[in-house]
Amino acid sequence: MGHEVAAPLLVRVRKARESANRQPFVLDVSLEIPAGITILLGPSGAGKSTLLDCIAGLVRPDSGRVSVGQELWFDSSQRIGVPVHQRRVGYVFQSLTLFPHLNVEENIGYGIAHLPPRERKARIDEILSAFRVAALRQRKPAEISGGEAQRVELARSLVTDPQVLLLDEPMTGLDEQLKAHIIEDLRAWRTARNIPILYVTHSKMEAQALGDHLVMMRSGSIVPEQKIAHQRTQLEQ
Amino acid sequence: MGPLWLSMELAVTVAALLLLIGLPVAYWLAFSKWRGKFLLEAVVALPLVLPPTVLGFYALLAMGPHGPLGKVWRAAFGHGLAFTFAGLVLASMFYSFPFAVQPLMSSFEAVDRRLLNASAVLGASPWRTFRSVILPLSISGIITAIVLCFAHTLGEFGVVLMVGGNLPGVTRTASIAIYDRVQSLEYGEANRMALVLLIISFSVLSVVYALNRHARRSLWTPWATK
Repeated sequence: MGHEVAAPLLVRVRKARESANRQPFVLDVSLEIPAGITILLGPSGAGKSTLLDCIAGLVRPDSGRVSVGQELWFDSSQRIGVPVHQRRVGYVFQSLTLFPHLNVEENIGYGIAHLPPRERKARIDEILSAFRVAALRQRKPAEISGGEAQRVELARSLVTDPQVLLLDEPMTGLDEQLKAHIIEDLRAWRTARNIPILYVTHSKMEAQALGDHLVMMRSGSIVPEQKIAHQRTQLEQ
Repeated sequence: MGPLWLSMELAVTVAALLLLIGLPVAYWLAFSKWRGKFLLEAVVALPLVLPPTVLGFYALLAMGPHGPLGKVWRAAFGHGLAFTFAGLVLASMFYSFPFAVQPLMSSFEAVDRRLLNASAVLGASPWRTFRSVILPLSISGIITAIVLCFAHTLGEFGVVLMVGGNLPGVTRTASIAIYDRVQSLEYGEANRMALVLLIISFSVLSVVYALNRHARRSLWTPWATK
């Protein structure tokens, strides 16, 4: 289940679209995301979620290239676009997306339906206890709290053993105590699996606690390193 | 076969066939990004506004010995399509098509797109997403489509009369039989059959509303609607 070779995620994408207020917006990003947690900071509307959607394959870039190690997911020049379901991406969205008709156990097992039943059950049991949600396994999403749902959502993404993990403000609306627990869970998971993790947040606490690397976006572009050095100093203070 | 049983057989056959055809059509209408799909939407909705006699007239022409459907049918089965039970089924399917497609399409469109994205990033193919997420979450639309097709076919008159005529045991459905009874002033018999149709229709609609209410409650997720 572990990854011995840490393949970096290479992203070079350009995507023009209309923003929410009908203004033209261009995402134009080129970056390498190494193994470990990369914090993606930036104001609302900077294009962070669009970038994550381009990586996952939910949004098709106008041009560019996305690859993980030897695996090519998107290349506009070669007309390659691997479908979302074949990319093995873990993606925790900004809003909760547990399937309301499935219980917690079924939700977590959804992404590993292809495994033999015994292995599938073992993986589900392992992640349920790692995220301390084993007691909820038979409950439907409507019967658990928002914080519990957030942890189940995270567990559901991680159990698939993804090659890349995308986390889009996964702790919005959670109390500090719960955040601390989830940060602990994520740290443990990062240590066990050496993959690129892109973590979007507005929280300095989360950035400090989790970030191995820092990337900043503004108006669809990456802010150069020297400009964010100042920001990093501020975060560390 | 009595007119009531014939009506029931027709309604069950039409509802079952329309569910099979309606599911892919509704899926395509709900998720296709093709700009011209409004044309197909208009075609699907056409039977809602057309007088049944108009629809029945064109269906009769198409199924007649010189019509395209009639010719194909004769080549395949050796007899004509008009004034047969099969012809009645086909015409009823056209007539009730919007009652299958529209509830299905509305419930497919109502499924939260974020759930579909979540399913895809979890490795599910579009077909698995359809089976495992879209269909279970559209259960109320599926029930509504089945029941509306059944009830609408059970009560149809104009199309049946145009395409099927009034052949006892073959195409004389309950609504035609009621009309016959009234024409021959047998009000008692007409009333008996009309009452049975009324009770069936009321019961079916009550069941569908109750089931839909139950389906909505069991899927209620306060945080997921934010």
